[in-house]
Amino acid sequence: MYKWFLAWRYLNTKLIAFFGIASVMLCVAMVLVVLSVMGGFLDTIRARSRGLHSEIVLEAGTLQGFPYYEEFSEYLSSELPDVVRISTPVIYTYGIFRVPATTFTKPARVLGIRLKEYVQVNDFKGGLYYERYFPGTTHLGQQGIPVAGFTLEGEIELPPQLAAANAQWRQAETDRAAVAAFDKMPFEKALYPSVTSVLPGERVFAVTSGDPSYLGPERNGIIVGSDLLHYRRPDGKFDRMIARGADIALTLMPLSPTGNPTGEPPVRLALRYVDDSRTGIYEIDSLCVYVDHDLLQHQMAMDAQPLVDGGFSKPRINQLLIGLQSGIDINIARDRIAAAWSKFSLSLGDNLSDADERALSFVDVYTWEDLQRQFIQAVEKEKVLVTFLFGLISMVAIVLVGCIFYMIVEKKTKDIGILKALGAPGRGIGGLFIAYAAAVGVFGSILGLILGSVFVWNINAIQDFLASLNPQLRVWSPDVYSFDRIPEVVKQADAFWVAIIAILSSMVGSIIPAFIAARVWPVQALRYE
Amino acid sequence: MSKPILRAKGIHRAYGTGHAQVKVLRGATLDASEAEFLVIMGASGCGKSTLLHVLGALDAPDRGMVEFRGENIFDLPPAVRGRYRNRDVGFVFQFYHLLPELNVLENVVIPCLVTHSFWSWRSIRRESRKDAIKLLDRMGLADRAKHRPNQLSGGEKQRVAIARALINRPALLLADEPTGNLDEKTGGEILKLLVELNAAGQTIIMVTHDAKVASLAHRRVHLSEGVIRETGNQSGGREFVPPAKTKVVL
Repeated sequence: MYKWFLAWRYLNTKLIAFFGIASVMLCVAMVLVVLSVMGGFLDTIRARSRGLHSEIVLEAGTLQGFPYYEEFSEYLSSELPDVVRISTPVIYTYGIFRVPATTFTKPARVLGIRLKEYVQVNDFKGGLYYERYFPGTTHLGQQGIPVAGFTLEGEIELPPQLAAANAQWRQAETDRAAVAAFDKMPFEKALYPSVTSVLPGERVFAVTSGDPSYLGPERNGIIVGSDLLHYRRPDGKFDRMIARGADIALTLMPLSPTGNPTGEPPVRLALRYVDDSRTGIYEIDSLCVYVDHDLLQHQMAMDAQPLVDGGFSKPRINQLLIGLQSGIDINIARDRIAAAWSKFSLSLGDNLSDADERALSFVDVYTWEDLQRQFIQAVEKEKVLVTFLFGLISMVAIVLVGCIFYMIVEKKTKDIGILKALGAPGRGIGGLFIAYAAAVGVFGSILGLILGSVFVWNINAIQDFLASLNPQLRVWSPDVYSFDRIPEVVKQADAFWVAIIAILSSMVGSIIPAFIAARVWPVQALRYE
Repeated sequence: MSKPILRAKGIHRAYGTGHAQVKVLRGATLDASEAEFLVIMGASGCGKSTLLHVLGALDAPDRGMVEFRGENIFDLPPAVRGRYRNRDVGFVFQFYHLLPELNVLENVVIPCLVTHSFWSWRSIRRESRKDAIKLLDRMGLADRAKHRPNQLSGGEKQRVAIARALINRPALLLADEPTGNLDEKTGGEILKLLVELNAAGQTIIMVTHDAKVASLAHRRVHLSEGVIRETGNQSGGREFVPPAKTKVVL
């Protein structure tokens, strides 16, 4: 016990101990920040990936897709009602995205979805922008351009449907700051019939001098990935250049069931921009657009097509997204659905065409994690690598603590002699310096955890502050890291293990000096100058 | 004749190696009886302190043996030898050797704490503090208990060092020129204290080169060329009357 008593006294009176504490503190803070940011990055990717897909995905991995999905959906509903809650088809292809008003073009991955079902199998709805402020107004069906008008008092007002939806949002929104922020700038103006924004802003609506109404030809809606069309400001918000309801053109190339071009000219779809989707993953938000499933299926010639020898081909899709009943283990569900698919595809018998048979042979069942495994594993490996590298840097702290203790032992050689002359055993003297190092480790770790946690919790504010001094100091690029905000969560388990390792490392750093201290004869230490 | 408490036989100790080797002790032999006040005299650098360190197991001889109550302390395992230093011997150094981070009371108490386990810490600490306060009171340092060593005079430091040496009621007090670093008046006070302790039954072996200081002892021995040259009662020394029973100093 005297070891702790003396260690505490040394800690209080020796300035050099504070250098040891400072080095442990900085290393703990550094490793905690790295672990938290990388761990948060990984968790965000996992959460976003999870929200991107359904829990289970039936996927062929080919552009021409696979048939018999409707029959399999019914089969699942009847055979696995305890597992499957809902299933919804998805078609994906690639096309050219164009904004006629600005002649802006970009390649796009086009997804055909049944919006009402799609939002039930993943978090897509949470990423819709206008839907947040005008709930229930985003759909992919036929619609005109919502055009704001003027009241008798000369104030701008939206069409009644949008105004009512916005009132509903105001009432339901618990975050009053969000309502206040909305009121500060309800929307930016784009003059109708030109629907390009007068000034780029967050929410853009077309405005005309008449009553608020829906104008222009009715067209199917298109939801656009937030980074595909808009400019992302440094604060993570977007400047939109065109009004909600603006015309969008998509050019697509249909494929035959065997994956060949059908020979028809490319399809040009005129659509109406209704909302932005933000999954939070830049690679998706800068590439994907979403249109109505049935429309895309028809335009891509993936619906039932008349056959030369009579009858119709089976409609095709690229993915069947499956939402599970709550409490079902996702891997067990995958195995059961895979078994059901095998049974179902066998039941189709020998009547399948060669193209259908081949298309079905590509189909497999995946969990959302399976689909994102490569990406998640890459980030996991990156986390391990970065933590290892910073751990390696932390070894410097161990060596530093070792050096500091070597100096302390040298400085305290006379004290060692006195204690040994008073009968303290060598083991006790060694233990004294290890206890001292442990005390340095404990205090350094506590301070490091506080410093690291405060840094992580305020990491975005710190970056914003630095960027306000010099934009070059903004180190987190949303384009590179997918997310606009740096993860700022400190996990208790991470903090605990970082502290334990730091304390142990400090003790390891003191072992050699402690061993040296334990071995000397009292008189050698007393005579030390 | 009182029974011997300590017996050193043929102590050899050299420093350095090869041509640079200095043979300090060359077969020094010495014994001390219980309650005796023995002084080891000799010129500076003759090996008095080295001999005292060997007697206190602060240093190991190259050859020879030191028996404490019939047991060779250098045959003992290190932990038991540590207990010998802690409980059987009290050491007073010329330069006090107090721990600067601890206050006076804590410096006196520390020998009680170094050999006790975590579990007995609180009770030992409480009891030893009581003993330490008594000792400090006797040394006239009761009001200095909370002071740090750097706030004390040389004489006060030496009295603290004596209190520390006595806290575990050792059978043997080894004093290495305890007045060597003090002025005459303060040195005289320390010597008076040692004589009082001895009168109370404390066995003392003291090293000094000062004949006046040595005159207070029962017996003086001279260390010269590494051996004890001269033993026996000298004129001017106090007469040693072996006590019927060793008194408890505290």
